[in-house]
Amino acid sequence: MTISAQVKQTLASLKGVQATLETFASFEENLKAKTILSRNTQRINHVIRDMEKRLSVLEFEEPQYKGF
Amino acid sequence: MAEWLNILLRSIGIFVLTLILVRLIGKRQTSRLTFFDLITGIVIGVMAAAVSLNLVKDLANGLIALAVWTVFPMLIYVLSIKYKAVRDIVQGKETVLINHGKVLEDKLLEARLTPEDLLSQLRKKNIFNFADVEFAVLEPTGEVSALLKKDKQPVTATTLGINVGQESVPQTVMLDGIIMDEPLTAMGLNRRWLHTELEKVGVAPENVFIGQVDSVGQLYLDLFDDTIQVPKPKIKELTYATMKKCQADCELYALGTKQPEAKKMYEKSSKILSEAIQELEPLLKR
Repeated sequence: MTISAQVKQTLASLKGVQATLETFASFEENLKAKTILSRNTQRINHVIRDMEKRLSVLEFEEPQYKGF
Repeated sequence: MAEWLNILLRSIGIFVLTLILVRLIGKRQTSRLTFFDLITGIVIGVMAAAVSLNLVKDLANGLIALAVWTVFPMLIYVLSIKYKAVRDIVQGKETVLINHGKVLEDKLLEARLTPEDLLSQLRKKNIFNFADVEFAVLEPTGEVSALLKKDKQPVTATTLGINVGQESVPQTVMLDGIIMDEPLTAMGLNRRWLHTELEKVGVAPENVFIGQVDSVGQLYLDLFDDTIQVPKPKIKELTYATMKKCQADCELYALGTKQPEAKKMYEKSSKILSEAIQELEPLLKR
């Protein structure tokens, strides 16, 4: 597996985690738990954005592995 | 009037009267009777029996005595709610029996308690070694309450220094194969969601004995057919594990890459993720 493929995999996992946390946050009625969940969703969102940027650089460098 | 008829009428009358009088005294829990409550109860009972058996020749005398024994306790209870001094006299104060791990013999004598009594009361509280007790009091109801020494107390999350997540009450959404609509809507869910969840685990709604939804929307099931194994929801644990894996991946990429800015980005991501993991751990793992 090339690096870009690996990064893509990690990115997919992260997106999954983020989605699950968002679901939890929407279910949770305890305000404290809800804020913790949504705050960390934001954090992970941040990481996802950074990784996506890096991924586009990788794809630019290795155009043959472009796409999913 | 025949004797038997007299007794019959008296008994019926006293039965109804006592029922009303006892209600008048008020609802005090029978399990927490003080000595005074006990005496009042016995006196009223004996008097009611005596009147109804025609042992008291004059009915009026019996009724007066009964009235006094209901009105006075009633008054005293009302007064004792208002004034602490009355409360202390009527209900008694608690007596400290063990303080700082030492048995106070004079207090024990005051409470007319033998050392055997104290030990047996402690044993009832699952304390077999009196040396484990830091503090014990004799309650007005005659029960002994004991506080264990700090190192003998059961561990809590606070003593272990663990951060635990908030847990809300799970809602019971299915009972006996019947969907309960009210708890479902209270969670902001509907029947279609439930059917989808049941389909996911491959269970027919008729087969569900109990179904509960926890605070993050995971469905826990118990089936009529106990041979079928229902997978327990593992989304929380899975999410936690995935987060850890992603963080490890980021670290790996940071080591692998030769570009300084990419390295920096991966390191930052790994740091953010580990912070998130730390914060979410109590929510996801426990």
